[in-house]
Amino acid sequence: MAFRSTELLKGTVDLLILRTLELGPRHGVAIADRIAQITRNTFVIKPGSLFPALHRLEADGFILGEWGETPEGRRARVYTLSAAGKKQLGIEKRNWERISVAMGQVLEAE
Amino acid sequence: MRILARARALYRSVMRRKQVERDLEDELGSALQELTERYESRGLSPDAARRAAQSDVGHIDLIKEEVRSYGLAHTFDTLWQDIRQAFRGLVRTPAVGAVIVLIFAGGVGSATAIFSLVNSLLLEPLPYRSADRLVFVWQDLTAAGYPRAPLAGPELEDLRQHGTLFSGLAGIWANTVALTDGPEPELLRSGLVTQDFFEVLGAEAMLGRTFRAGDDGPETPPAILLSHAVWKRRYNSDPRLVGARIRVNGRPTTVVGIMPESFALLLPQDAAIPDDQQAWVLLGRDALTWPRQQQFLRVVGRMKPGVELADAQREVAAIGEQVGREYSDYGKDGAKFYAVGLQADATREIRPALLGLFAAVCLLLLIACVNVAGLLITRASSRHHDTAVRIAVGASRLRLFRQCLAEGLILSAIGGCLGLLVARAMLAALVSVRPPALARIDGTVLDMRVFSFAAVLAIAWGVMFALAPLTQLVRTTVLSVLRGGGRGTAGPAGSRVRSGLVVFQVAISSVLLITSGLLAKGFYELQRTKYGFDPEHVVTFKLSLAGSRLRGAAPIAAFSTELRHRLAAIPGVTAVGATSHLPFDTVPNWGSPYLAAHESDETRAGLADARSITPGYFETVAAELMEGRWFTDADAYNSLPVTIVDTMLASRLWPTESAIGKQVKAGPATTGRPDVTLTVVGVVRHIRHREVTRDVREQIYFPAQQSLRNPMAYVIRTTTDGADVMVSVRSVIAKLDPTLPIYDARPLESYAAHARATRGFTMVLALAFAASALILATIGIYGVTAYNAAQRRSEFGVRYALGAQPRQVAGLVLRNAVLLAAVGVAIGSFAASVAAQLIRVQLYHVGPSYLPAYAIGAATVLVAAVLAAWIPARRAARISPIESLRAN
Repeated sequence: MAFRSTELLKGTVDLLILRTLELGPRHGVAIADRIAQITRNTFVIKPGSLFPALHRLEADGFILGEWGETPEGRRARVYTLSAAGKKQLGIEKRNWERISVAMGQVLEAE
Repeated sequence: MRILARARALYRSVMRRKQVERDLEDELGSALQELTERYESRGLSPDAARRAAQSDVGHIDLIKEEVRSYGLAHTFDTLWQDIRQAFRGLVRTPAVGAVIVLIFAGGVGSATAIFSLVNSLLLEPLPYRSADRLVFVWQDLTAAGYPRAPLAGPELEDLRQHGTLFSGLAGIWANTVALTDGPEPELLRSGLVTQDFFEVLGAEAMLGRTFRAGDDGPETPPAILLSHAVWKRRYNSDPRLVGARIRVNGRPTTVVGIMPESFALLLPQDAAIPDDQQAWVLLGRDALTWPRQQQFLRVVGRMKPGVELADAQREVAAIGEQVGREYSDYGKDGAKFYAVGLQADATREIRPALLGLFAAVCLLLLIACVNVAGLLITRASSRHHDTAVRIAVGASRLRLFRQCLAEGLILSAIGGCLGLLVARAMLAALVSVRPPALARIDGTVLDMRVFSFAAVLAIAWGVMFALAPLTQLVRTTVLSVLRGGGRGTAGPAGSRVRSGLVVFQVAISSVLLITSGLLAKGFYELQRTKYGFDPEHVVTFKLSLAGSRLRGAAPIAAFSTELRHRLAAIPGVTAVGATSHLPFDTVPNWGSPYLAAHESDETRAGLADARSITPGYFETVAAELMEGRWFTDADAYNSLPVTIVDTMLASRLWPTESAIGKQVKAGPATTGRPDVTLTVVGVVRHIRHREVTRDVREQIYFPAQQSLRNPMAYVIRTTTDGADVMVSVRSVIAKLDPTLPIYDARPLESYAAHARATRGFTMVLALAFAASALILATIGIYGVTAYNAAQRRSEFGVRYALGAQPRQVAGLVLRNAVLLAAVGVAIGSFAASVAAQLIRVQLYHVGPSYLPAYAIGAATVLVAAVLAAWIPARRAARISPIESLRAN
């Protein structure tokens, strides 16, 4: 069971990162901040799981990392969503919607 | 653009690994910095802020490790480590590695070589257009002892008129033509074909064209089609030859085309149409109206598109039935036609042999596999301790598995490459010792299909290599091994299986050794066999009078007599004669029906091989006269028709009385009917001229003067070197007539040797198989003995400690091996006696229970077993008791 829930979590992290980058390029810490802000601290992604996830997504070709500057003028690797990433985001969104509908049905059932 | 992005990531991870690592470090450093600053801005002390940030980020090395594992670089990295580790393992025990690679190369090589034969002979379609629509038509004259007979001209016409399922039916007849232009006259093996032959066959000319309608018109000059080889050799590949006139059989003839170099006529072997024909000319139109008794045409048909072979076969059979009803002559009664797929029939004789060979090679390959797996298991169990330690310090089983796989694949890659070389060498060797009947294997090549076969074999085997030691790996539980002092955990069941395999291998190699011993003895007997003639010290050559000035019986007879007298005068020549057919030659047979003179019922006629011979022929080949006399010059074209018959014919017609003076009707003038009454003047012992091992059919001999044949084969018995005599022969003939083509100058023994060659080939193959099986069994015995001896190390130590002598311990090891071998030999000998019954037809003058073959075979295997067990036995004798006990 433990194995499955991490899988699910991993997928969730991917979806959250992709969705965040859809709004514009960001560096690692800013991505985590943004996710925490939007979900009102429901999802707090620690760097320990954020950075591996970023590199995995990059290896899969969904996002591109380039050295750049943060709005505060800090040197950081800034990530952009790639075309493949956009497509992947669509797929994951639909997946998620299916799951959430299904979950909703389960929970609402008598 | 995902692929591009991936490629970029891949590039980064592989080529710029350092860069990526540095990026990651920088990135994490900068994140740490940012978070620290953030905590500080919330009012934490710099120290507390740093600690909080660090606990957020986590263990940087762990992150790095995780990120690393995404990249392919990591995969390559560990793969490379695995390969290096595997290499180290192999180098540590180089002998085992070398043996495995050699077995592997031998196994894959031989299987690939045989597969390439199967591929080119059975799998590749015949090199003609839509070859699957071609059929070959036979006539079944079983009643006359001729189940696969040719058709007569009118019968081809019947097929053409009544056949509705064929787009064409064509005939061919093998013969010779003489090229009489230029200073060197030459006789060519040629095919006489109907005008549509090449069209039906689906073969095109390389230059010019094949035959077409009108080529056989009465006004047009004769046409000839030449093979690529003749065109290249005799005419220096001159393209202007097409359309030019050359002299063929003394007549100006138009060269209409040159066939491609790759063209070969692949008809069934027993159709007596050589593969390597050199020229084709048209069969005269009247050939299709020759008498129905003259069966000479080999018929090839092309089915219309969409026609099923079974329907075509029914139609051909129905037409044959019709013919059999309308013309019920001798032997024709109940005659049947039958059509067979050309490819299936062309490979009819070779297919079982080839598939048998392939099965044998696969069996050997399997044994080799088992042995190699055994060696690897033995080694894996000797590395048991090593493996357990590695598992204990945290190596994952997946990792160990990958290492085994790497080892297997390294072995199979090296072995596979060597195997291809072995396959090439074996193929070359097979082609060079092949009997003439297997000429078709010459064109065998290692093509893509063969390469794929070898690759699949190599990979499958490599994976199996990897899995074999794994059986040990799975059983390895760290504690039991470490506590058990490094002894393997293979139970008694495992060692029983291995012993069983060794017994099986020993049995197989005994079977092969014993049967090949029987075959060798049979071949030895065959070489000593009298065929009814003595081929030693006889040289032969052929001479064609086609195209010479000689016309009519009298001048030809005079020329022949003169030539024989001049040849006889050559120093060193003791006898001279000539015949229409040399024994074991491949020229088309001449059969004549015969009938006792008082018999009028033609359906009772027999069919004999007819030969036309000059006086002196029987004397030269040292045939045995049983009764009466040989022919003399007095048996001339205008004197009483006489004949010499063989013992088979004489005993069939006159079983109880002498044949001399009896009268027989036969067809010396090649009309195909027994229409001439001849007086028997002599009986000769049957001469084997078709098969070396048995008497095939009755023989009837006519004096050459009373039955003109061309070309004739001359035989000369010499006391000196045959080659010297041939020089004199050529000058004698050149003096008589320099335009006469002499060809096929070779010793009579070479015809007999050719006839024996197939059996010799079988014997060589059997010996080769037996030798390889023996080598494999030896390796198998070694493997098992070494394994068992290693398992018993500590037991031996105890024995030494209790006062056993090294010899006694070595004896224990040896005894075990010899026991296994003895059981194998016993089973093998029994199986060999069964196998010998099955291959009885292959055994010539040797009983299937010929004891020396069994004794030698069994002794060889036992000696090999002792030698194989010697090394582990000696090793056991040198065990130091203290060390072996301390190892516990």
